[in-house]
Amino acid sequence: MTVTTDLQSIRAIPKPRARWEGPSFILCAAVVTGLLSLLPLAFVLYVALTSGWQAIADLVLRPKVGTLLLNTSALLAIVLPVSAVLALAFAWLIERTDIPFARFWSWIMVAPLAVPAFVHSYAWSAFAPRFHGLGAAVLVSILAYLPFIYLPIAAQLRRLDPALEETAQSMGKSPPIVFLRVVLPQLRLAIMGGALLIGLHLLAEYGLFVLTRFDTFATVIVDQFQSVGNGPSTNLLGGVLVLLCLILFGLETRLRGRERYARVGAGAARSRRRSTLGRWTWPALTLCGSFALLSLAVPAWTLLRWLASGGAEIWRFDFILPALGQTALLTLSGAALTTMAALPIAWLTVRAPSRLQKLLEAAHSYVGALPGIIIALALVTVTVNVYLPLYQTVAILLFAYVLMFLPRALVGLRTSIAQAPVELERAATSLGRPLSAIWHTTIRLAAPGALASAALVGLGITTELTATLMLAPNGTRTLAMRFWAHTSELDLAMAAPYALLMVLLSVPLVVLLHGGADRMGQA
Amino acid sequence: MLQLVGVSKSYGDQQAVSDIGIVAPAGRRTVIVGPSGSGKTTLLRLISGFERPDDGSITLDGQPLDSVPPHQRNIAYVAQEGALFPHMSVADNIGFAMPRRATDCLARIDDLLARVGLPTSMKSRRPHELSGGQQQRVALARALAQQPALMLLDEPFSALDAGLRKNMRDMVETVLREAGIASILVTHDQSEALAFADHLVVMQAGRVADAGPPQRLYDRPNTAATARFLGPAIILDGDIRDGLAHTVLGAIRVDATGSRRASILLRPEQLTVSPVQVGTSQIAEATVLSRLYQGASWRLKIACPGLDQPIDIVTSAHHVATADTVHLRVDGEGHVLPEKT
Amino acid sequence: MIRQAFFASIALLALGVSLALAQEGPITVYNAQHETLAQEWATGFTEETGIPVIIRQGSDLEVANQILQEGANSPADVFLTENSPGMVLVDNAGLFEPLPRDILDAVPAQFRPENGNWTGIAARSTVFAYNKDSLGEADLPKTMAELADPAWQGRWAASPSGADFQAIVAAYLVLEGEAATLEWLQGMAANAVIVRGNRAALAAANNGEVDGALIYHYYWFGDQAGTGESSANTSLHYFGAHDPGAFVSISGGGVLASSQHKEEAEAFLRFITTKGQDVLRDGSSYEYAIGVDHESNAALPPLNDLGAPQIDPTRLDTVKAAELMTEAGLL
Repeated sequence: MTVTTDLQSIRAIPKPRARWEGPSFILCAAVVTGLLSLLPLAFVLYVALTSGWQAIADLVLRPKVGTLLLNTSALLAIVLPVSAVLALAFAWLIERTDIPFARFWSWIMVAPLAVPAFVHSYAWSAFAPRFHGLGAAVLVSILAYLPFIYLPIAAQLRRLDPALEETAQSMGKSPPIVFLRVVLPQLRLAIMGGALLIGLHLLAEYGLFVLTRFDTFATVIVDQFQSVGNGPSTNLLGGVLVLLCLILFGLETRLRGRERYARVGAGAARSRRRSTLGRWTWPALTLCGSFALLSLAVPAWTLLRWLASGGAEIWRFDFILPALGQTALLTLSGAALTTMAALPIAWLTVRAPSRLQKLLEAAHSYVGALPGIIIALALVTVTVNVYLPLYQTVAILLFAYVLMFLPRALVGLRTSIAQAPVELERAATSLGRPLSAIWHTTIRLAAPGALASAALVGLGITTELTATLMLAPNGTRTLAMRFWAHTSELDLAMAAPYALLMVLLSVPLVVLLHGGADRMGQA
Repeated sequence: MLQLVGVSKSYGDQQAVSDIGIVAPAGRRTVIVGPSGSGKTTLLRLISGFERPDDGSITLDGQPLDSVPPHQRNIAYVAQEGALFPHMSVADNIGFAMPRRATDCLARIDDLLARVGLPTSMKSRRPHELSGGQQQRVALARALAQQPALMLLDEPFSALDAGLRKNMRDMVETVLREAGIASILVTHDQSEALAFADHLVVMQAGRVADAGPPQRLYDRPNTAATARFLGPAIILDGDIRDGLAHTVLGAIRVDATGSRRASILLRPEQLTVSPVQVGTSQIAEATVLSRLYQGASWRLKIACPGLDQPIDIVTSAHHVATADTVHLRVDGEGHVLPEKT
Repeated sequence: MIRQAFFASIALLALGVSLALAQEGPITVYNAQHETLAQEWATGFTEETGIPVIIRQGSDLEVANQILQEGANSPADVFLTENSPGMVLVDNAGLFEPLPRDILDAVPAQFRPENGNWTGIAARSTVFAYNKDSLGEADLPKTMAELADPAWQGRWAASPSGADFQAIVAAYLVLEGEAATLEWLQGMAANAVIVRGNRAALAAANNGEVDGALIYHYYWFGDQAGTGESSANTSLHYFGAHDPGAFVSISGGGVLASSQHKEEAEAFLRFITTKGQDVLRDGSSYEYAIGVDHESNAALPPLNDLGAPQIDPTRLDTVKAAELMTEAGLL
């Protein structure tokens, strides 16, 4: 997701001349996964084609959809620029100035990721019960998602060749002008990428907006689904949501332009001078401190308050343990399946790049950008219309997880497979049995990286709510579902243990992403 | 004219440069050369204002620069790989450096491109579409565009391959001479330094080891270390009497009088070998250890009795074979190093 | 070696998942009633008969839709809801087994459909919970229709996304017809503060954000019996007088025609409608007991005094209700 490692160099590895039996099998596997990941797109086409103009006129061209469009636009129009400016300010303060405890602040900026978005809004609805609507939605979105844009900006700031800025200064340009005309344009890709990621999350998020009482397409789609099932009213709204995602993509591509700023000077390793804040030290500390208070202290305080007031009573282990067990099973099997599903295309991308592979890779990647709710809707429709026995089964839920988190698995796998020497694999292949050769050499060497990306996938599954709500066999009660059930009934104390568990389970995500940003910085 | 007097700078316990005194006159090309870690880059950063000296003063045209921030110094800085702004076209890169948006801006960009030998069709290219050499040319044009009082060049040729390097060096030399601005070029490559400099400063361990015209520094350096840094050196111990130094290679004419014991520098190119003895000018014999054919010449490795190290000599003598005994002659005079090694 | 271990562990995981999520038991209850209540019934039933009960939890229409999708292959033996529309949905698809006379007779005729395909198991009344500081008795709405008047703009809360409220709308539809319902819903869309969940609506009235909330009674009683955190400042107003706002919603129970364990399933329903009714009297659910000769919780006003309109639950059309709500922009 946020990892933007440049893979050009990896793809440049020449593809092996010989045609083996291995790749054709792997190619088949990748083609199958690629085709399966096209299902949601097929669903949207199906909806568009099967609903007549009348249905579209009745169900899409209605005031409610207008309200939702307004809500969504307002949300995007406020959250994205404000997040970008804030992230820019924080990244600059932490990476480029002598702000005290810079390392500590860099952790604080990533830490909100440990708190799932709907737990953020749970905390806020408990902290300020009368704070809701657009204002609340905007605030909580910014607090929950800021790391997504902070991380790429900070990484890019670290990677920029200091010589560029020094050269510009020596040309007689004052530091503010240098920042505006030399630094900022080179952060554009990072800003756009981060903003797109936040935008997609805003479109997909359900729990956060329910609790801040702000209607978006995702909340209304879930309402419709729970009232009338996957009828045309639900599916058409899903179609509109996909359209919005595409518009967001198009906008990002347009704004990003055809520019390439990827070139990074070889001398970037040289440490740079940090600007002296002087009398601005305290305001800067106050800014960082306020963010920490709002994004971390509020959830922490709410959680502790409810945990304390709930006492031993809320620790209903007869419910918590089964939820934990189910979550663990779904997470482990989902992460394992997703990683396995990503293996063929990851291997092809590194070892046998081709036009078909590029196409397949794109198919694998786009699906992760779709809201979970769309994938869920698509799978409901497909199972109901094509093969009913799969409807609301663990299998279909796991399949939804695979689709949603495929790109996460892909990123880590690609990098770690690329680091495994191809010579070993070829030597082993010359002994016959190419698949087993690949398994015993490359895949084994890539195992640590694969584990890390499986962990990323698993963390996503642990806190997944929307698709789980829609697809899980009834009787399933994951941590997120239990938390959600209690929160919906305003039983905030009973929800607290589940929130705490989800936060604890998400801490590794923060460590992984912070570490990843560090590595990008050193690169 | 740039003048550094007694400039020192340390990072924590690490003394980066100490007691530096340098003068870079207008219109002259000053080259600072030294091995890596000798404080060259720190010196450049001090001059351009990205670092503050702990001690000493830096003046430009008589004005102290102590409290002048980098962007008000009017000192251009050309970084190692050009540091072109990747998000700007060639024309924008050059235009960015111009002091004010002049009306003749476009014409000046064309003129500058012509001066660094680039076609004006390059104007709309992006840096990543240019070769390394082209990038350096644009960087130079950009630095000129700002009409600086002084131009700093940090290892400008190190990223280029050998063939291109000479071309670029000639071009930069010409452009700087025509522009008539003072320049300081930093390099670790002594042949580049010797070829480029009007005035050469050799740095070692954060201090100025020697400074002066390049030829003087090569032929008559102050220290053995400088001598070795600037090129292959044969350093012999000898007793000086009556303008002759008596060494293991025999009596060599030197550039000093009086009587004392001293170290004497010979450059290998002062030595001529021949397979047979001719006259009395030959002073010593040596044994050929190995030889390497180089087309126009041979490179011989020879061992002289009394010297611990073999000497590399380039010769046009064809009839020398390995294990032959050859006769050495010294051309010119040896240089007596001021201090003893 | 490692590969085998890897695949073996994947297989084990898959097995574990399916075991954990799909335990086999003698009867499977698709439950949309409150989980604690259903669990109490199940425990009591198992104690008495030794028949284990597996509960799968969901919400009314969600579960009803699933039963429709599963059709004859549904693993469900019993379906329990909070409101009637979910039952009607399944009944209209012909998926219920007609119940034996004795089960039907355990509940008075007004609390079950005439066709006898399912029966009532509990009841809940629509109420207007109002903030005592904001509203005096005189300011209270006389009818539910009044809440659509411009005078009530921004002053009341409801949770239209839930099955509870959709049942109330379905009742309005039966009583007042399609045009009046749509008009009322449009008024509601203009007036009501929309929240998700009855308790959230109650809390909004309690903290003074709105004057009142249109909810079911037992949320208020439950909260009062607990901390009172969401209801301390509120009081209940019953519309009475056969107003749509006095609608009493019947929670239903039925046996699936596809059930392989019909006898046990019927026994479970029989238990709920007889002995199980005592759970409603003694427990913390505060829903009305409707079994013949069974009393409700003493804290509740008698069900027969509420002046509820008479509605045959089979006429509650949730599909039409959702359609109208969608048209009014509430969904």
